[in-house]
Amino acid sequence: MTTLTAPPGKDTLMKIELDRPRCEAHGLCEEAAPDLMHLDDHDDLVLDVTEVDGAALERARAAVRVCPVAALRLV
Amino acid sequence: MGRVVVVGNGIAGLTSCETLRAEGFDGDLVVVGAEPEPAYSRPALSKALLKPDGGLDGHELAPASHGATELRGVHATALDADARRVALSDGSLLDYDGLVIASGSRARRLTDSPHEHTLRELRDAVALRGALAGRPSVTVVGGGVLGMEVASGALAAGCDVTLVANAVPMVRQLGPYLAGVLGASATAQGLKTMVARDVRVVDRGGHLQVSADDRMIETDVVVTAVGDLPNTEWLGHSGPLHTDSRGRLRDGVVAAGDVARWDGIRTPLWTSAIEQAKVAAATLLRGDDAPVLAFQPYFWTEQFGIHLKAVGGIPLDGDPEVLEQDDVGQLLRWTHDDGTRTAVSVNWRIPIPKLRRLTAA
Repeated sequence: MTTLTAPPGKDTLMKIELDRPRCEAHGLCEEAAPDLMHLDDHDDLVLDVTEVDGAALERARAAVRVCPVAALRLV
Repeated sequence: MGRVVVVGNGIAGLTSCETLRAEGFDGDLVVVGAEPEPAYSRPALSKALLKPDGGLDGHELAPASHGATELRGVHATALDADARRVALSDGSLLDYDGLVIASGSRARRLTDSPHEHTLRELRDAVALRGALAGRPSVTVVGGGVLGMEVASGALAAGCDVTLVANAVPMVRQLGPYLAGVLGASATAQGLKTMVARDVRVVDRGGHLQVSADDRMIETDVVVTAVGDLPNTEWLGHSGPLHTDSRGRLRDGVVAAGDVARWDGIRTPLWTSAIEQAKVAAATLLRGDDAPVLAFQPYFWTEQFGIHLKAVGGIPLDGDPEVLEQDDVGQLLRWTHDDGTRTAVSVNWRIPIPKLRRLTAA
């Protein structure tokens, strides 16, 4: 099976979405993108920035990818 | 660099592809995945996917954004490194300028019987979940992380579960203190544990039984979790691939993840695969200008009602320093002889960055 997807443009503006029930507060996303999100004192993830492009988009991608329960996605 | 081929579509392969793009590679990118599904979260197979009341989507990852040509359900069968060419199981040949080997590993099996369950791929998890649905008696062979998570899942599914291992479960992985914590919780939840010197799976006319020293355990379902074997036969090799501190095997070829013994150490963990893949992919493009791997392993497990997270080296000898505790949880720290530290949370909610800071000297 072969699938082809077009590479997204570098200056696309994308939105970070959190599927809160899936989040297990591993916090690996915060390590990858501390300027975009953090776990609060109750270990609930807070998205400090939701729309990203450019270099921030790359950090958001890293944060999405490192989550072992796929609680984050970019749309 | 015109074309990069990534062999393997697990988290190491996926992260390699995304890192290549993030590092500016805009050439032809081809990823070869042996499984029919897109990349998924393997840790979820023995956790979320075994929960009887859980959904079947706990392993799904956000869609890939690397724009690679994904070949799925095919695997690499041979490498001609001088010609820079990979042969695939569908008979095709792929030329490359750069190659990432992330072909992972497979479960080590104790028999050739199709009735021996293992847990490595998505289809294994689906088969095991199906097998547990009728609440059979289950014998798990292997007292490592996977064996214990499977036993925990089988107990939660309402099965009668015996775990057989040749050492106290989790002692080799985590040391005696944490093995004691997990073992006590397992016993409280009804797990029967047997430690035996000689553990075998015996095929009696298609029905599997487990022998532990002189005892034979009658059981409906046998699951083995006795380690994994790196998928390197297609390279004319057996065992893991020994890479340097940037994942290099030779000019234009890097490796990452479970297939690799990276700079002398094999660390088959989720976060290690990700960090190795980032370094290996950057090295493929930038050579010595890429950073070497600087990474403290992160490990987590969920079993028998306990969520455990560890940052730093394991296993852990001796008793820990108790930093915090309440009725259900503890925050612990060990200081090793060389001055490095390992911080562990046991049913204690703490983000990884905070846990990591506790390991600072």
